[in-house]
Amino acid sequence: MKRGLLWKGVIIGLVVLVGALSAYPLGEKISLGLDLRGGTYLVLQVETEDALRAETDKDLARLVQELQDKGLETASGTRTSSTAFDILGVGADRAADVSTEAAEFLPGWDYQRRDDAVAFEMKAQNANLIANQSVKQALETIRNRVDAFGVSEPVIQRQGLEGNRIVVQLPGVDDPERVKKLIKNTAFLDFRLVAYPPDGRGAPSREEILGNYGGRLPDDVEIVSGPIRDSEGNVVAEQYYAVEKVSVITGRDLKDARPGLGDFNQPIVNFFLTHEGGQRFGDVTGANIGRGLAIVLDGKVRSAPTIRAQIRDSGIIEGSFTRQEVEDLSTVLKSGALPAAITYLEERTVGPSLGQDSIDQGLKAGLLGMALVVLTMFLVYKLSGVNAVVALAMNIVLIFGALAYFGATLTLPGIAGIALTIGMAVDANVLVFERIREELRHGRTVKSAIDAGFGKALSSVLDANITTLLAALFLFQFGTGPIRGFAVTLSIGIFASLFSAIFVSRWLFDMILSRRRRVDRLSI
Amino acid sequence: MEFFRDSKIQFMKYRKYWMILSLVLLLVSAIVVFGARRLNLGIDFAGGTQLTLKFSEPIEVDRLRDIVADAGVPDAVIQSFGVAGANEALIKTPIVEGSEEGSQGLVVSALDAALDNSGAGPDLNRVGREVVESFLTSRDPDARLPGLADSTGLVDQAPYGPIADAILELRREQGLITDWASISALAEVTPESAEALESGARLGKFSVLGAENVGPQIGSELRRKGLLAIVSSMIGMLIYIWFRFELRFGVGALVAVLHDVFITVGLYALAGFEFNLTTIAAFLTLVGYSVNDSVVVFDRVRENLRRSRSRPLEETMNRSLNQTLSRTVLTSGTTLLVVGSILFLGGDVLRGFAFILTIGVIVGTYSSIYVASPFALLWETLFGRGARGRRREARAASR
Repeated sequence: MKRGLLWKGVIIGLVVLVGALSAYPLGEKISLGLDLRGGTYLVLQVETEDALRAETDKDLARLVQELQDKGLETASGTRTSSTAFDILGVGADRAADVSTEAAEFLPGWDYQRRDDAVAFEMKAQNANLIANQSVKQALETIRNRVDAFGVSEPVIQRQGLEGNRIVVQLPGVDDPERVKKLIKNTAFLDFRLVAYPPDGRGAPSREEILGNYGGRLPDDVEIVSGPIRDSEGNVVAEQYYAVEKVSVITGRDLKDARPGLGDFNQPIVNFFLTHEGGQRFGDVTGANIGRGLAIVLDGKVRSAPTIRAQIRDSGIIEGSFTRQEVEDLSTVLKSGALPAAITYLEERTVGPSLGQDSIDQGLKAGLLGMALVVLTMFLVYKLSGVNAVVALAMNIVLIFGALAYFGATLTLPGIAGIALTIGMAVDANVLVFERIREELRHGRTVKSAIDAGFGKALSSVLDANITTLLAALFLFQFGTGPIRGFAVTLSIGIFASLFSAIFVSRWLFDMILSRRRRVDRLSI
Repeated sequence: MEFFRDSKIQFMKYRKYWMILSLVLLLVSAIVVFGARRLNLGIDFAGGTQLTLKFSEPIEVDRLRDIVADAGVPDAVIQSFGVAGANEALIKTPIVEGSEEGSQGLVVSALDAALDNSGAGPDLNRVGREVVESFLTSRDPDARLPGLADSTGLVDQAPYGPIADAILELRREQGLITDWASISALAEVTPESAEALESGARLGKFSVLGAENVGPQIGSELRRKGLLAIVSSMIGMLIYIWFRFELRFGVGALVAVLHDVFITVGLYALAGFEFNLTTIAAFLTLVGYSVNDSVVVFDRVRENLRRSRSRPLEETMNRSLNQTLSRTVLTSGTTLLVVGSILFLGGDVLRGFAFILTIGVIVGTYSSIYVASPFALLWETLFGRGARGRRREARAASR
């Protein structure tokens, strides 16, 4: 055997080996798309307007406060859009003061005199920054919450570099409603001292509480309701509390929260406070022993235990929760609040049994198709049909090897892409073989027919494959999700079939030629 | 075996009649797409909600339709799904006005009510793993809990996790759990746990195999992107062929691709298949395949032209088509074998995809012979060197 041939053989062997090794074992190396393995895919949108509005409100309040402190008692403000507000009650003579204050306190704003008001508009750059930050913060919060949910291999990422969309992929999650709720929940927690009934047991109606105060609530007190639940966790009635408007501590003061079991094996949330929050909590509980302390979650009183002793830096939240509820609650509390509301734009949940059926059927069809192709090639090209079988086998090995190597995901359209590649994989071989036949018909010797066949077919093979590759590239560029998976398998298939037809097939012919000194007939 | 050895078919001779056939097919397509049936846009593009459900007992499509309509979700499309006897159904509902989140909740609760499917305890055919585990932990039938709560009162283990996993795995395999015996038969499930589950939980009458919701915003985006992908890939290939060959071939290939896509779209719509993201992938593949076929022919034409410039283009084309005919038929044949297998055996999810490719391969093979080359020829007679020369002469004569 010639040295060149040996080297080529070694290269081919290595390529196949590397492909096979990177794909082995198949089950572990190839990551299946959600459409095949089952799971939940969510696209959600962060309502950045919320964050902008909150920022505008905050700056507006600061500026008004500042102006009033500087002697402009009549100054007041009103928000005109999510990124604009007007300062009113400033006469023409004092307008310059507003500008001075604004320049100092609100560098991120443009302002101008308009009639009897000063109109403020957030600078676009500043607005973009805030919107961008709120998406980043939401991404982080969602990641924390999903991590706590215990999903293996979750994907949580921003869609595109800009924009306010987040893509969440949760393989194997079969209870999407709960995840959606968990991600979306803002869980605003605060602890308030109960003003009436003093022991924190709750009153049956609003009227009763109002009656206690003679029909009018004090300014610093408000009425909050809470559900009464039976042992199964079903809401059976509402009860009412008068609580102080000022919170003792809020969710922001939490350092950590964990699910746990109470004295009677009932699910509770253990929480741990920051240093500062713990001090405040200790002061208030120490001074109010015997009073009720309402635990208010998202505007509802979950429980209102009586303070029995001073509590410093940790405590429990109880209130006839289920085990699942305390887990979700501690997750949400721990991960912080979302900076803005979110909307689910797209949701896809595929049950694994649906995916398994598709894999089985796709596989069966693919194998049958492959067998038919192989049979056809042997019928048409006799022994040279071996090349086609080699091409097919290499295609499969290299596709799976490349999928594993690049960490690409195999999706349902991807399986279809593989099937199609199998059908077309023999195309390059067919082009070459037909050319060889033509040359033989023209009376050339086997060796020169093979040379001419490969030489002349090359440009057709390249042109044909490059055009398909172009289609695959566009597919990848503009496609989404599963379509990209398809594009990837198609592209890999094209490269694999080019390699097998131009390089491997040629090598096989050369091997035959090198065996004997003169080859008169070629089985083609 | 050899096909078409030294064939001398005069492909170009009757090109007018084939063009008429193509025009008729295109017209039929246009009537189907714009008039008679229109495109059946799937939720990927139209937006809306799609549920795949599996029922424990056979259920009539009409009954499902009534239930969904009564729930206040009009215009739902309902069809049975999967193999016969699987009791699976697809429910597709349009976008709910003013909401991005769809009608899934509405449909499921309507089904619960209509099938008398509510009751105490978690529905093992619906809830997630966590809920099963939480249910068992709260009952603690095997007394696994003591000792787990450490001094801080924190539970950091999941004593009933394996049972929950096994039950969910069972549901995964079967799609729907129909009897308690299959649960007690699981190795992980102790008799006590099985009893606790049977007394406290329930097996609902249907399970949700798949649920998809595409809000209106995403729907219109996917629509735009899909169209962009097809149009841009066609332009990309036109430019490539123009660059590699000549403009007349590029135009021929492009016309052939448009021809293939439009006819396939028409037949696809006529067959009532749904347009979704996978459909776009299939059409892009078809575009690639169609051009591929034309390119091989053009490649041969170019080669033959180089060898004999003086012969008329029509004759060269005929010869090239004959020379590549074996390859055209064989490659189309093997591709057809595979996509045909998928069409018949690949299952519901891949059927639309396989349909497009099957039609596409047939039409694409036809068009590479009877559309691409004749159009390149037509372009040549209208705007080619000869035509330009004739026009120049005509202008000179009229002066």
